[in-house]
Amino acid sequence: MSEMKKIKNLKEFSTSADRFEGANLLCPGCAHSIIVREVLNATNDDLVLSASTGCLEVCTAVYPYTSWDASWIHIGFENGSTAVAGAEAMYNALKKKGRLKQPDRNPKFVSFAGDGASYDIGFQWISGCMERGHNMMHVVLDNEVYANTGGQRSSSTPIGSSSTTAPSGRISYGEKKNKKDMVSIMAAHQIPYSAQVAPNKWKDMVKKIQYGMQVEGPVFINAVSPCTTEWKFDPKDTMLLTDLSTDSLVFPLYEIIDNHELNITYRPKNIVPVEEYLAAQGRFKHLFKDEYKYLIKEWQERVDAQWDYLNRREEARV
Amino acid sequence: MANTGWDEFEIGAMLRTFDGKIDDIAGTLQEDRAYSPNSSFVASVADWRIEKPIFAKDFCIDCQFCWIYCPDMSIIARDKKMIGIDMDHCKGCGICVEVCPTNPKSLLMFDEHSDEETELAQWPAKEEKK
Repeated sequence: MSEMKKIKNLKEFSTSADRFEGANLLCPGCAHSIIVREVLNATNDDLVLSASTGCLEVCTAVYPYTSWDASWIHIGFENGSTAVAGAEAMYNALKKKGRLKQPDRNPKFVSFAGDGASYDIGFQWISGCMERGHNMMHVVLDNEVYANTGGQRSSSTPIGSSSTTAPSGRISYGEKKNKKDMVSIMAAHQIPYSAQVAPNKWKDMVKKIQYGMQVEGPVFINAVSPCTTEWKFDPKDTMLLTDLSTDSLVFPLYEIIDNHELNITYRPKNIVPVEEYLAAQGRFKHLFKDEYKYLIKEWQERVDAQWDYLNRREEARV
Repeated sequence: MANTGWDEFEIGAMLRTFDGKIDDIAGTLQEDRAYSPNSSFVASVADWRIEKPIFAKDFCIDCQFCWIYCPDMSIIARDKKMIGIDMDHCKGCGICVEVCPTNPKSLLMFDEHSDEETELAQWPAKEEKK
């Protein structure tokens, strides 16, 4: 394992030189770039990055500008992870043949993708990368919707959310299917590390990213990314929404090591009712009508059951 | 070609292996970097703003919450101190004001056309805890 950058506190972290530049075209208050910064600043090593099609890709690479101060590639919607896996395989081959000009440098391979590009379109490609055991990290910026193309539902969209292809109205309450548990699916590939993170808990996030970069083998990270446009809240409330999502346990923060050791890394002191999390967002507005009130109760039960499951799994070490 | 830096190429140029020294970009602060005209750092999104943040240095405790939660790399922190706001890249989202923990807040949002000195002179006083 290589030596990682030491980050004890936020003041020390703030001496990092950003490798992600401003004047990108992400919406004001977008959580994507907060997550990207926390990932990139977690290391001082060289980075080989990719982005699958999505908000992050279209907003950071608008001709003639690029917002990346590191090697960065975009190919298609589905194969961002495979592009990085290919670069990693090439790096290993050249290293073995002794053809690297500076073999002592220790680049990190990271691919970024939205939830659409990971949960739906790029699913089998990521699965392939995890199965082949490349030494790379895949970071999902999970905003639970195809935000870039106008808010279509993805398989990450939760029950009751109104999106343009699953709208709420007189007949429907919006999305009817529950979200896919991607962290567990990826952990089931027997990968060394799989975790869920949130940008508001930066210390937890940096710790997980650094662990993921040090460990040999594929790493999967799911990061919650509140979307001001599609979740319909005020841009200034991005961090408030992230706090609500972690404190209401809708996005519990945990890690799975080698698919048998589950650790819950953040236990909120005051658990917020899910109702508060739903009430803060315009996409769940219709759930507060009398006829759909039962859905909020179901939400709470589902979140409690999931939290209970995580706790039991942590205890059982399975 | 031999003396061209990695960021001096036109977009679409074909690149061969580099033999020269690799710049340690992670150890170079923004002001010391040689940005190419193709980096979005040289562009500006200042015209997106309706409101702008104003920074009152006197109340700042350098907690760096605004630095970590700024989505646009617009909070300038040097030597563990918050020294100002990058107005070329700030989109005026207001997250920095929301996460500021001081009393009164050391960052507040004002109309884009308001005058910094006037606003600083009439900065709100400390709020008493109820």
